[in-house]
Amino acid sequence: MSAIAEAKKTSPVNTAGMGQAVVGRAGNSLVAVLGSCIGVAMYHPRHHIGALAHVVLPDSTNRSGTPAKFADTAIPYLLQLLKSEGVGSAGLVVKLAGGSSMFASTGPMQIGAANFQAVVKALESVGLRVSGQHIGGPKGRRVSLDCQTGQLLIEVAGTAEATL
Amino acid sequence: MTTAAQTTDEGRIEFLHCFFSAATHEASAAMCRWTGGMISMRLDEVREIPLEEVCVEYDFGSDLLTMIVLSLQGELGGDMILTFDEENGRQLAATLLHRPVADEPEWTALEKSALMETGNILGCAYMNALTKLVGTQLVPSPPTFLQDYGASVLEQALMTQAMTCDKVLICRTSFERQGEELNWNVFFVPSDALRAAMRNAIEN
Repeated sequence: MSAIAEAKKTSPVNTAGMGQAVVGRAGNSLVAVLGSCIGVAMYHPRHHIGALAHVVLPDSTNRSGTPAKFADTAIPYLLQLLKSEGVGSAGLVVKLAGGSSMFASTGPMQIGAANFQAVVKALESVGLRVSGQHIGGPKGRRVSLDCQTGQLLIEVAGTAEATL
Repeated sequence: MTTAAQTTDEGRIEFLHCFFSAATHEASAAMCRWTGGMISMRLDEVREIPLEEVCVEYDFGSDLLTMIVLSLQGELGGDMILTFDEENGRQLAATLLHRPVADEPEWTALEKSALMETGNILGCAYMNALTKLVGTQLVPSPPTFLQDYGASVLEQALMTQAMTCDKVLICRTSFERQGEELNWNVFFVPSDALRAAMRNAIEN
Protein backbone atom coordinates (compact mmCIF):
# COMPACT_ATOMS: atom_id res chain seq x y z
CA MET A 1 0.00 0.00 0.00
CA SER A 2 1.36 3.43 -0.94
CA ALA A 3 1.99 6.15 1.64
CA ILE A 4 -0.96 8.18 0.38
CA ALA A 5 -3.31 5.21 0.36
CA GLU A 6 -2.27 4.52 3.91
CA ALA A 7 -2.82 8.17 4.85
CA LYS A 8 -6.26 8.31 3.26
CA LYS A 9 -7.22 5.11 5.01
CA THR A 10 -6.54 6.64 8.39
CA SER A 11 -7.51 10.32 8.38
CA PRO A 12 -7.66 13.41 6.16
CA VAL A 13 -5.35 15.08 8.71
CA ASN A 14 -1.98 13.38 9.06
CA THR A 15 0.43 14.48 11.75
CA ALA A 16 4.20 14.22 11.49
CA GLY A 17 5.64 13.67 14.96
CA MET A 18 9.33 14.10 15.76
CA GLY A 19 11.43 12.30 13.16
CA GLN A 20 8.41 11.32 11.07
CA ALA A 21 7.29 12.15 7.51
CA VAL A 22 3.80 12.02 6.03
CA VAL A 23 2.49 12.24 2.47
CA GLY A 24 -0.94 13.29 1.19
CA ARG A 25 -2.91 14.49 -1.81
CA ALA A 26 -5.83 16.88 -2.40
CA GLY A 27 -8.16 16.61 0.56
CA ASN A 28 -5.37 15.83 3.00
CA SER A 29 -3.77 18.24 5.47
CA LEU A 30 -0.32 17.45 6.79
CA VAL A 31 0.33 18.83 10.27
CA ALA A 32 3.31 19.22 12.61
CA VAL A 33 3.81 21.02 15.91
CA LEU A 34 7.34 22.41 15.96
CA GLY A 35 9.77 23.90 18.45
CA SER A 36 13.41 23.95 17.45
CA CYS A 37 12.76 21.26 14.83
CA ILE A 38 12.20 22.15 11.17
CA GLY A 39 9.09 21.28 9.22
CA VAL A 40 10.04 20.62 5.58
CA ALA A 41 7.01 20.89 3.30
CA MET A 42 7.25 19.75 -0.33
CA TYR A 43 4.36 20.21 -2.74
CA HIS A 44 3.78 19.56 -6.42
CA PRO A 45 1.23 22.03 -7.85
CA ARG A 46 0.30 19.90 -10.86
CA HIS A 47 -0.13 16.60 -9.01
CA HIS A 48 -1.56 18.21 -5.83
CA ILE A 49 0.59 15.91 -3.76
CA GLY A 50 2.47 17.09 -0.69
CA ALA A 51 4.88 15.74 1.89
CA LEU A 52 5.92 17.01 5.31
CA ALA A 53 8.94 15.95 7.37
CA HIS A 54 9.55 16.82 11.04
CA VAL A 55 13.35 17.15 11.15
CA VAL A 56 14.89 16.99 14.65
CA LEU A 57 18.66 17.14 14.16
CA PRO A 58 21.11 18.33 11.48
CA ASP A 59 23.31 15.29 10.94
CA SER A 60 22.79 11.51 10.97
CA THR A 61 26.49 10.65 11.30
CA ASN A 62 26.95 7.95 13.96
CA ARG A 63 23.32 8.29 15.00
CA SER A 64 20.36 5.95 14.78
CA GLY A 65 16.77 6.83 14.04
CA THR A 66 14.20 7.28 11.33
CA PRO A 67 15.29 8.90 8.04
CA ALA A 68 13.09 11.94 8.62
CA LYS A 69 14.81 12.63 11.96
CA PHE A 70 17.96 14.10 10.39
CA ALA A 71 18.28 16.88 7.81
CA ASP A 72 20.79 15.02 5.63
CA THR A 73 18.57 11.92 5.35
CA ALA A 74 15.14 13.58 5.50
CA ILE A 75 15.41 15.34 2.13
CA PRO A 76 16.29 12.21 0.11
CA TYR A 77 13.61 10.34 2.07
CA LEU A 78 10.92 12.90 1.18
CA LEU A 79 11.92 12.72 -2.48
CA GLN A 80 11.76 8.92 -2.29
CA LEU A 81 8.27 9.07 -0.77
CA LEU A 82 7.07 11.45 -3.48
CA LYS A 83 8.69 9.36 -6.20
CA SER A 84 6.80 6.31 -4.94
CA GLU A 85 3.65 8.33 -5.67
CA GLY A 86 4.84 9.15 -9.17
CA VAL A 87 6.11 12.65 -8.39
CA GLY A 88 9.61 13.67 -9.42
CA SER A 89 11.63 16.54 -8.01
CA ALA A 90 11.05 18.83 -11.02
CA GLY A 91 8.48 21.49 -10.17
CA LEU A 92 8.45 20.80 -6.44
CA VAL A 93 7.73 23.78 -4.19
CA VAL A 94 9.60 23.70 -0.86
CA LYS A 95 8.67 25.65 2.27
CA LEU A 96 10.25 25.58 5.74
CA ALA A 97 9.04 26.47 9.23
CA GLY A 98 10.30 26.04 12.80
CA GLY A 99 13.78 26.43 14.27
CA SER A 100 12.71 28.40 17.31
CA SER A 101 14.68 28.85 20.54
CA MET A 102 12.18 28.66 23.38
CA PHE A 103 14.30 28.45 26.55
CA ALA A 104 17.04 30.82 25.55
CA SER A 105 18.46 31.04 29.07
CA THR A 106 19.94 27.56 29.18
CA GLY A 107 18.56 25.64 26.22
CA PRO A 108 20.21 24.53 23.02
CA MET A 109 20.29 28.01 21.57
CA GLN A 110 21.83 27.11 18.24
CA ILE A 111 20.07 23.86 17.40
CA GLY A 112 17.17 25.55 15.62
CA ALA A 113 19.53 27.56 13.43
CA ALA A 114 21.75 24.52 12.85
CA ASN A 115 18.72 22.48 11.78
CA PHE A 116 17.66 25.19 9.34
CA GLN A 117 21.11 25.51 7.80
CA ALA A 118 21.45 21.74 7.43
CA VAL A 119 18.05 21.46 5.75
CA VAL A 120 18.88 24.25 3.28
CA LYS A 121 22.23 22.60 2.51
CA ALA A 122 20.55 19.22 1.94
CA LEU A 123 17.97 20.83 -0.34
CA GLU A 124 20.66 22.61 -2.34
CA SER A 125 22.54 19.34 -2.77
CA VAL A 126 19.58 17.94 -4.71
CA GLY A 127 18.93 21.15 -6.63
CA LEU A 128 15.92 22.40 -4.65
CA ARG A 129 15.40 25.96 -3.44
CA VAL A 130 13.26 27.24 -0.59
CA SER A 131 10.32 29.30 -1.83
CA GLY A 132 9.06 30.38 1.58
CA GLN A 133 10.18 30.17 5.19
CA HIS A 134 8.99 31.06 8.71
CA ILE A 135 11.99 30.43 10.93
CA GLY A 136 13.33 31.31 14.39
CA GLY A 137 11.85 33.30 17.26
CA PRO A 138 11.02 32.26 20.83
CA LYS A 139 7.67 30.51 20.21
CA GLY A 140 6.51 27.11 18.97
CA ARG A 141 4.54 26.70 15.75
CA ARG A 142 1.67 24.58 14.50
CA VAL A 143 2.00 24.16 10.73
CA SER A 144 -0.49 22.66 8.30
CA LEU A 145 0.15 21.90 4.61
CA ASP A 146 -2.99 21.93 2.45
CA CYS A 147 -2.35 19.33 -0.26
CA GLN A 148 -5.04 20.88 -2.49
CA THR A 149 -3.56 24.39 -2.60
CA GLY A 150 0.02 23.91 -1.39
CA GLN A 151 -0.48 26.64 1.20
CA LEU A 152 1.43 26.22 4.45
CA LEU A 153 -0.58 27.69 7.34
CA ILE A 154 1.51 28.72 10.34
CA GLU A 155 0.06 29.36 13.78
CA VAL A 156 2.14 30.90 16.56
CA ALA A 157 0.74 31.36 20.07
CA GLY A 158 -0.40 34.91 20.65
CA THR A 159 0.11 36.14 17.08
CA ALA A 160 -1.88 36.27 13.84
CA GLU A 161 -1.74 33.28 11.50
CA ALA A 162 0.67 33.41 8.58
CA THR A 163 0.44 31.64 5.25
CA LEU A 164 3.33 30.72 2.97
CA MET B 1 5.72 13.92 33.32
CA THR B 2 9.38 14.23 34.13
CA THR B 3 11.76 13.60 31.27
CA ALA B 4 15.46 13.00 31.02
CA ALA B 5 17.58 11.22 28.47
CA GLN B 6 20.49 8.85 28.67
CA THR B 7 21.53 5.42 27.58
CA THR B 8 21.07 3.17 30.53
CA ASP B 9 20.38 -0.42 31.48
CA GLU B 10 17.49 -1.73 33.51
CA GLY B 11 19.46 -1.64 36.74
CA ARG B 12 20.27 2.01 36.25
CA ILE B 13 16.63 2.74 35.46
CA GLU B 14 15.70 1.14 38.77
CA PHE B 15 18.13 3.44 40.57
CA LEU B 16 16.85 6.42 38.63
CA HIS B 17 13.35 5.42 39.63
CA CYS B 18 14.50 5.73 43.24
CA PHE B 19 15.97 9.19 42.47
CA PHE B 20 12.83 10.50 40.86
CA SER B 21 10.57 8.82 43.42
CA ALA B 22 12.37 10.67 46.19
CA ALA B 23 12.16 13.98 44.32
CA THR B 24 8.50 13.43 43.49
CA HIS B 25 7.75 12.57 47.12
CA GLU B 26 9.32 15.84 48.31
CA ALA B 27 7.56 17.85 45.61
CA SER B 28 4.24 16.17 46.43
CA ALA B 29 4.61 17.02 50.11
CA ALA B 30 5.35 20.64 49.20
CA MET B 31 2.35 20.78 46.84
CA CYS B 32 0.12 19.37 49.58
CA ARG B 33 1.24 22.08 51.98
CA TRP B 34 0.90 24.83 49.35
CA THR B 35 -2.60 23.79 48.29
CA GLY B 36 -3.95 22.92 51.71
CA GLY B 37 -3.79 19.19 51.10
CA MET B 38 -5.64 19.24 47.79
CA ILE B 39 -2.89 18.42 45.26
CA SER B 40 -0.54 15.44 45.39
CA MET B 41 1.91 13.85 42.93
CA ARG B 42 2.82 10.28 42.06
CA LEU B 43 5.65 8.86 39.92
CA ASP B 44 3.95 6.37 37.61
CA GLU B 45 6.77 5.00 35.44
CA VAL B 46 10.37 5.37 34.32
CA ARG B 47 11.21 4.00 30.88
CA GLU B 48 13.58 4.48 27.99
CA ILE B 49 12.34 4.91 24.40
CA PRO B 50 13.67 6.26 21.09
CA LEU B 51 13.11 10.00 20.68
CA GLU B 52 10.91 9.58 17.61
CA GLU B 53 8.49 7.38 19.56
CA VAL B 54 7.83 9.98 22.26
CA CYS B 55 5.08 11.75 20.32
CA VAL B 56 3.46 8.40 19.50
CA GLU B 57 3.55 7.15 23.08
CA TYR B 58 2.64 10.47 24.69
CA ASP B 59 0.18 12.51 22.65
CA PHE B 60 0.27 16.11 23.77
CA GLY B 61 -1.93 17.21 20.89
CA SER B 62 -1.57 20.64 19.37
CA ASP B 63 -3.43 22.68 21.97
CA LEU B 64 -1.91 25.66 23.69
CA LEU B 65 -0.72 25.00 27.23
CA THR B 66 0.20 27.24 30.12
CA MET B 67 3.67 26.58 31.48
CA ILE B 68 5.99 27.56 34.28
CA VAL B 69 9.68 27.13 33.43
CA LEU B 70 12.56 26.96 35.90
CA SER B 71 16.14 26.59 34.71
CA LEU B 72 18.88 25.16 36.90
CA GLN B 73 21.69 27.61 37.49
CA GLY B 74 25.36 26.75 37.86
CA GLU B 75 27.48 24.00 36.36
CA LEU B 76 24.80 21.32 36.62
CA GLY B 77 22.12 22.80 34.39
CA GLY B 78 18.75 21.63 33.22
CA ASP B 79 15.14 22.71 32.81
CA MET B 80 11.97 21.95 34.75
CA ILE B 81 8.64 22.72 33.09
CA LEU B 82 5.26 22.50 34.80
CA THR B 83 2.39 22.47 32.27
CA PHE B 84 -1.38 22.88 32.60
CA ASP B 85 -4.20 23.07 30.12
CA GLU B 86 -6.22 26.29 30.24
CA GLU B 87 -8.97 24.87 32.44
CA ASN B 88 -6.65 23.35 35.03
CA GLY B 89 -4.34 26.36 35.15
CA ARG B 90 -7.23 28.76 35.65
CA GLN B 91 -8.75 26.48 38.29
CA LEU B 92 -5.53 26.30 40.25
CA ALA B 93 -5.02 30.08 40.13
CA ALA B 94 -8.61 30.65 41.27
CA THR B 95 -8.23 28.19 44.14
CA LEU B 96 -4.98 29.73 45.34
CA LEU B 97 -6.40 33.25 45.11
CA HIS B 98 -9.73 32.28 46.72
CA ARG B 99 -11.57 33.76 43.73
CA PRO B 100 -14.01 32.47 41.09
CA VAL B 101 -12.40 31.04 37.95
CA ALA B 102 -11.56 33.96 35.63
CA ASP B 103 -13.28 34.09 32.24
CA GLU B 104 -11.12 36.82 30.67
CA PRO B 105 -8.91 35.52 27.82
CA GLU B 106 -5.84 37.34 29.16
CA TRP B 107 -4.22 36.09 32.34
CA THR B 108 -3.89 38.74 35.04
CA ALA B 109 -0.56 39.43 36.73
CA LEU B 110 -1.98 37.95 39.94
CA GLU B 111 -3.02 34.71 38.22
CA LYS B 112 0.39 34.39 36.60
CA SER B 113 2.04 35.05 39.95
CA ALA B 114 -0.01 32.30 41.64
CA LEU B 115 1.09 29.74 39.04
CA MET B 116 4.71 30.90 39.10
CA GLU B 117 4.79 30.51 42.86
CA THR B 118 3.36 27.00 42.46
CA GLY B 119 6.15 26.15 40.01
CA ASN B 120 8.69 27.67 42.34
CA ILE B 121 7.53 25.61 45.33
CA LEU B 122 7.35 22.40 43.34
CA GLY B 123 10.69 23.00 41.62
CA CYS B 124 12.56 23.93 44.78
CA ALA B 125 11.27 20.86 46.64
CA TYR B 126 12.19 18.62 43.69
CA MET B 127 15.69 20.11 43.41
CA ASN B 128 16.27 19.92 47.17
CA ALA B 129 15.60 16.18 47.02
CA LEU B 130 17.90 15.72 44.03
CA THR B 131 20.57 17.87 45.73
CA LYS B 132 20.67 15.44 48.66
CA LEU B 133 21.02 12.47 46.30
CA VAL B 134 23.56 13.98 43.89
CA GLY B 135 25.58 15.77 46.55
CA THR B 136 25.78 19.05 44.63
CA GLN B 137 23.47 21.98 45.25
CA LEU B 138 20.91 22.46 42.48
CA VAL B 139 19.50 26.00 42.43
CA PRO B 140 16.53 26.78 40.18
CA SER B 141 16.11 30.18 38.52
CA PRO B 142 13.09 32.39 39.23
CA PRO B 143 10.06 30.92 37.45
CA THR B 144 8.93 32.14 34.02
CA PHE B 145 5.31 32.08 32.77
CA LEU B 146 4.79 30.86 29.16
CA GLN B 147 1.88 29.97 26.91
CA ASP B 148 2.71 27.76 23.92
CA TYR B 149 2.00 24.45 22.19
CA GLY B 150 2.62 21.45 24.46
CA ALA B 151 4.30 19.40 21.74
CA SER B 152 6.64 22.31 20.91
CA VAL B 153 7.72 22.60 24.51
CA LEU B 154 8.21 18.85 24.85
CA GLU B 155 10.31 18.89 21.68
CA GLN B 156 12.44 21.76 22.89
CA ALA B 157 12.86 20.22 26.33
CA LEU B 158 14.06 16.94 24.84
CA MET B 159 16.38 18.61 22.35
CA THR B 160 19.20 19.08 24.85
CA GLN B 161 19.41 15.30 25.24
CA ALA B 162 18.54 14.49 21.61
CA MET B 163 21.71 16.22 20.51
CA THR B 164 23.78 13.49 22.16
CA CYS B 165 21.47 10.50 22.77
CA ASP B 166 19.18 8.43 20.53
CA LYS B 167 16.91 7.40 23.39
CA VAL B 168 15.17 9.42 26.08
CA LEU B 169 14.31 8.42 29.60
CA ILE B 170 10.66 9.16 30.32
CA CYS B 171 9.50 9.53 33.90
CA ARG B 172 5.73 9.87 33.96
CA THR B 173 4.28 11.73 36.92
CA SER B 174 0.59 12.18 37.62
CA PHE B 175 -1.16 14.81 39.73
CA GLU B 176 -4.31 14.32 41.77
CA ARG B 177 -6.73 16.72 43.36
CA GLN B 178 -8.59 14.96 46.16
CA GLY B 179 -8.37 11.62 44.34
CA GLU B 180 -9.18 12.98 40.87
CA GLU B 181 -6.43 12.94 38.22
CA LEU B 182 -5.46 16.35 36.84
CA ASN B 183 -4.19 17.30 33.39
CA TRP B 184 -0.88 18.63 34.68
CA ASN B 185 2.59 17.49 33.66
CA VAL B 186 6.14 18.02 34.84
CA PHE B 187 9.09 17.76 32.48
CA PHE B 188 12.51 17.63 34.06
CA VAL B 189 15.41 17.63 31.61
CA PRO B 190 18.86 17.55 33.23
CA SER B 191 21.93 18.73 31.36
CA ASP B 192 24.71 16.35 30.37
CA ALA B 193 26.65 17.45 33.47
CA LEU B 194 23.75 16.71 35.80
CA ARG B 195 23.15 13.38 34.10
CA ALA B 196 26.80 12.51 34.71
CA ALA B 197 26.46 13.55 38.35
CA MET B 198 23.42 11.32 38.72
CA ARG B 199 25.29 8.43 37.11
CA ASN B 200 28.18 8.96 39.53
CA ALA B 201 25.81 9.03 42.48
CA ILE B 202 24.24 5.76 41.33
CA GLU B 203 27.62 4.06 40.83
CA ASN B 204 28.82 5.20 44.24
